[in-house]
Amino acid sequence: MFDLNKIKEKAYLIAALAAVVVILIPIGYSIVTNLFAGPPQPRPFLEMPDEKYKECVRETEFMRQHHWELLRTIREEVVRYGKRTDININKCRECHVSREGFCNRCHNSVNLYPDCFGCHYYPEPSEMAEKMRKSGDKAILFGQSIERLPDLSGE
Amino acid sequence: MERRDFIKIAGGTFLAGSACAYAFRFLTASNIDGLIVENLTTGRKYGMVIDLTKCIPGCTACVEACHNENNVIHSGDKRWDIHWLRKVTIENKLSPEVGKKEVLLLCNHCDKPPCAQVCPVQATYKRHDGIVIVDHHRCIGCRYCVIACPYNARMFNFKSEEEWHNKDHPKRSHGVAEACTLCAHRLDKDQPPACVEACRNVGTGAIVVGDLNDPRSEISKLVESRAVKRLKEDLGTDPKVHYIGL
Repeated sequence: MFDLNKIKEKAYLIAALAAVVVILIPIGYSIVTNLFAGPPQPRPFLEMPDEKYKECVRETEFMRQHHWELLRTIREEVVRYGKRTDININKCRECHVSREGFCNRCHNSVNLYPDCFGCHYYPEPSEMAEKMRKSGDKAILFGQSIERLPDLSGE
Repeated sequence: MERRDFIKIAGGTFLAGSACAYAFRFLTASNIDGLIVENLTTGRKYGMVIDLTKCIPGCTACVEACHNENNVIHSGDKRWDIHWLRKVTIENKLSPEVGKKEVLLLCNHCDKPPCAQVCPVQATYKRHDGIVIVDHHRCIGCRYCVIACPYNARMFNFKSEEEWHNKDHPKRSHGVAEACTLCAHRLDKDQPPACVEACRNVGTGAIVVGDLNDPRSEISKLVESRAVKRLKEDLGTDPKVHYIGL
């Protein structure tokens, strides 16, 4: 009644098909999404700090690649060993005034949303501009007019 | 398979594996220089002495200072509010002649902290200077420490703080357990904790924080000269908050 060999053959066929489908789905998915992706996004342009601050805590190339590693190391040292140096997230905001133009623009373009600023303070550009206006310290704002800063978020 | 083949394959796999393990170190190595964590042994042991005989009844300057310094949630809603430092009134009904007493309660920064022992992710730990602290980046919010603490000093953040009082200090985030940190961020900069400063500003000076290992410090002299008590000493947690006049 049941031909065992036939059933075996069918089972092998189904298994092979399933394997092919499992391999093909991701490839097909990437091809299709690339087809409908449209033109590539331009590289995000980051706001440069003021001329007064010529050097970051490390070289630019290093910071571009490994800033998160540096921040993580500092975090580990401060939180777990109480070894506080003058390099911290508050120091970043002295030169890189705008979080919108400095952190978020790049992170958003690569779909990365670190939750640092849920707890750590990094002022919104408008808030910072207001502070600068009050204190009269315009040098920090990259030598540009203060009114430009709030527009950064509107992109 | 022959014995010879088996040895060949096993040996080859072992060599390849060890080579991978050796290469993995270089692949994952951090190229951050100059930031190697040194073994910090300052020999300090922070502790606290609260002089209840000096403490003014009804005064909550330290509590408010603590809440403002550390952005602790205190919106007035009892469901969400947490306390790092709180004042409770105790009363001995068997001997009413003692009268009511107001006692400050906070994390006791035990030398053998039960909260750190139960933490499954090592988020709660004891620092080299004896401060028991929570790493919010690691905390998964399991609340084991809240249960383990015999002093009810641990609180769970059901909500994140909306107001941001002290912007130099991180805000409290929701979903993590917390307790007093003895203002570790201030002690690292050789500043007194917020409650101590507030108590001094009021003119009381009932709270003293200092190094218990240093025999010349104010706190060691107080512990030696006055009759100090600690809470639930029989539990063997070895708390570092001492009370005078409890």
